[in-house]
Amino acid sequence: MLISERDKKTIDACRFCWMCRHVCPVGNVTGRERNNARARALSLSMVERGVELSKDIVANVYECALCAACTKECATGWDPVEFTKAVRLEAAMNGVTPDYINKMIDNIESTGNPYGQTELSEELKAEIESLPKDADTLLFLGVDARIKSSRSAVNAIRLLKKANISFTVLMNEPDSGYAMDTLLGKADETKRIMTKAAGVLDKYKTIVAYDPADAKVFLREYKEWGIELGAAVKTFTGFVNELIQSGKLKPKKLNKTFVFQDPAVLARDLEETQEAREILAACGETKEMLLYGKDTVWAGNLIMNEYMPDVMKLTAKARWENALSTQAEVLVTASPSEYEVLSAVKPDNMELLSIEEVVLRGLE
Amino acid sequence: MQQNEFLFDMILSELEDAVGRENCSIREIDKLTHTVDYFWLSRMWADRGKRMPEADFIVSPKDAKETSAVLKIANYYKIPVTTWGGGAGSQGGALPVAGGILLDTKRMNKIHEINEDSMYVECGTGAIYKHVEWAVNEKGYSTMHYPSSLNCSTVGGFLAHRGIGVVSTKYGKIDDMVLQMEVVLPNGDIIYTSPVPKHAAGPDLNQIFIGSEGTLGVITKAQMRMYVQPEVRKFRAFLFKNLTDAFRAGRELLTKIKPSVMRLYDEAETISIIKKIVGVERKGAFMNFALEGVAEIVEIEEKILLNTMTKYGAEDLGSEYGEKWWEEKITFFYPGHIMDLPQMFGTMDTVATYSNIEKIYWAMKEAIETNFPMARFIAHFSHWYEWGCMIYDRFIVDNPPQDPHEALRLHNQIWNTGVRAALANGGVVNDHHGVGIKLGRLMKEQYGPAMQVFEALKKQLDPNGIMNPYKLGL
Repeated sequence: MLISERDKKTIDACRFCWMCRHVCPVGNVTGRERNNARARALSLSMVERGVELSKDIVANVYECALCAACTKECATGWDPVEFTKAVRLEAAMNGVTPDYINKMIDNIESTGNPYGQTELSEELKAEIESLPKDADTLLFLGVDARIKSSRSAVNAIRLLKKANISFTVLMNEPDSGYAMDTLLGKADETKRIMTKAAGVLDKYKTIVAYDPADAKVFLREYKEWGIELGAAVKTFTGFVNELIQSGKLKPKKLNKTFVFQDPAVLARDLEETQEAREILAACGETKEMLLYGKDTVWAGNLIMNEYMPDVMKLTAKARWENALSTQAEVLVTASPSEYEVLSAVKPDNMELLSIEEVVLRGLE
Repeated sequence: MQQNEFLFDMILSELEDAVGRENCSIREIDKLTHTVDYFWLSRMWADRGKRMPEADFIVSPKDAKETSAVLKIANYYKIPVTTWGGGAGSQGGALPVAGGILLDTKRMNKIHEINEDSMYVECGTGAIYKHVEWAVNEKGYSTMHYPSSLNCSTVGGFLAHRGIGVVSTKYGKIDDMVLQMEVVLPNGDIIYTSPVPKHAAGPDLNQIFIGSEGTLGVITKAQMRMYVQPEVRKFRAFLFKNLTDAFRAGRELLTKIKPSVMRLYDEAETISIIKKIVGVERKGAFMNFALEGVAEIVEIEEKILLNTMTKYGAEDLGSEYGEKWWEEKITFFYPGHIMDLPQMFGTMDTVATYSNIEKIYWAMKEAIETNFPMARFIAHFSHWYEWGCMIYDRFIVDNPPQDPHEALRLHNQIWNTGVRAALANGGVVNDHHGVGIKLGRLMKEQYGPAMQVFEALKKQLDPNGIMNPYKLGL
């Protein structure tokens, strides 16, 4: 395979090691041996030793959430996410990418999002139209919120409006490149999308990335590619917390107990865990569930929901079980993707709110 | 497995009917990832680009009922069944060397009950032990089973191979930690062992199936003991002049108190591992203890420990080493922290009485170093009883043959030599990793005519010989 020597070394280090098995959110719910870093590495090490890189092996590479729980767990410092992404690109170059992945890649090329949809909800369009066309601060909603979690996008806008700050949202927002980066890794296509987005976003002083997945590519992958992004990038949770701490948002304490689902990207890749907790502390009581902060358990995402919906139900249910065991009243998310997958299997005896919904309630 | 295409499809459809289509796979990726466990030979074989034997069907039943259905199908068609939990065993016990059905237990991972009255957790045997530990931790308890493979091995895997954790001296081995088990017999019957582990209602059914490595059935559910978390856990390390003094001190200590951790390292391991991990550069025999439980009692135990160690001339090295070891007790087993390919290595753990243990150590060391000058031999003694203790002895060959057949031959010669030295001096084939395909050939050498008891059980329970063929010497 035309992957880096570092990736080959990681594959050989991981192929006989199971020490991160217990934290793999996919393997833990499927019970399938193939769903862990060791299994992916073993199969790929065999490819390095003459086994064909088949569609079957590649399909398993796409069953990884890229959540980096294994990376966080590795006492030696190996990063299975890196070789997983590298092999996705390798598979594309060899024409063995699964058809359902190719379909999403084609969708990104033709519509700017992996879901192949172009129309925003009327409610979201109205909210965006209500904002000034120009401002120094851009709220970047991202494809998941715009296409699949309109309610989240609308509430994010409504919350920032409450702070009486000047900001805008683009009706035709460029694709950040996060979805292509997820599906193909460091491909030329990914760079092209990111470069195009940077050109559009360059005029803003501040970009508030609503989706941690977008924040991550802005802050990490763009730099790796050498793509200059003139604007300062802030996470939505970080920005909202600033608004609360500066008194621009003054939520009242609700008589509720919250437990926060740390998005894996936010907690592990961007190392942001406290801001959301400070927001929730301003709005009520907080509890913690099993494995939180940087140890968080990924609850699912919308891209994998396209081709592994049954597994996404299981990952979300497993996280609900963790949340329920805290006896908190509300599970709070900070990722539109996790909000949607958790919402699909929400139990009757616990509430699910996005973090902006919590603050909006506190402002009522 | 030699089957024609039509019959293969017929069997596949029956298995799909038993466990659901999504839980029965003939995919390449599922076969491939169930071919290599922690057994050095399987790793070497794969490393050399050779394919290990593959199962024909990978099935994942969700409970005893589905397991029963699978075993009935297997018995009818006389198809081998190999049970796979975490696949982290070092003896090749989970390798589907005869093809057929690979029964992966990890869907049987439910925590069914945490019984605080009777202090046990009932779980499916496919549960990762770390998950069981987390579940009881949330209630303020612990399983007190902390092996190096805690993160990746299943409850069933530990039971099948008689596993052990680092605090075993106080809390026991896995076979001391079980109350009742649910077992699916090879004919598909679902049975339950006695509701309690201590009784006079005949022999102990638990102990027939614990350590049977999937040759007599499949353990599908187990009630595992849990313990109150200790108020304190205190460490103390000592340096003895030699192993003999350390053995005497350890033996005497266990007539008075029960530490949770007792780990004695031979000189070679004292120098190489302890120096590397915790920075000690001293010759002698390093020994690390942990005492735990109610604070007042531990305080008294600590005095007894110090007095006993002083009596045998041990140098007190304080608590820092032990605390660091505790933090890193699993780190030892990540890549880069432990032996790995291209090295050849193996842990020839055995257990014996105090009368024999030091004799075995020297006999195994001499046998390995004399017959295989290319091999290094290191050892520690990490699980202690009132009557004896175990040796965790390892051989390491830095540059084994590149040819896989030659490497296999040398590997097995070293093992034969080491284990036979243990057996000749009062040891056993293995202490806590099991037998698998690695050591099956040596079982008769240990048991002699007693082996017929196991063979009779096998013949009665598994007359078609479908359960995990070529393992355990059965």
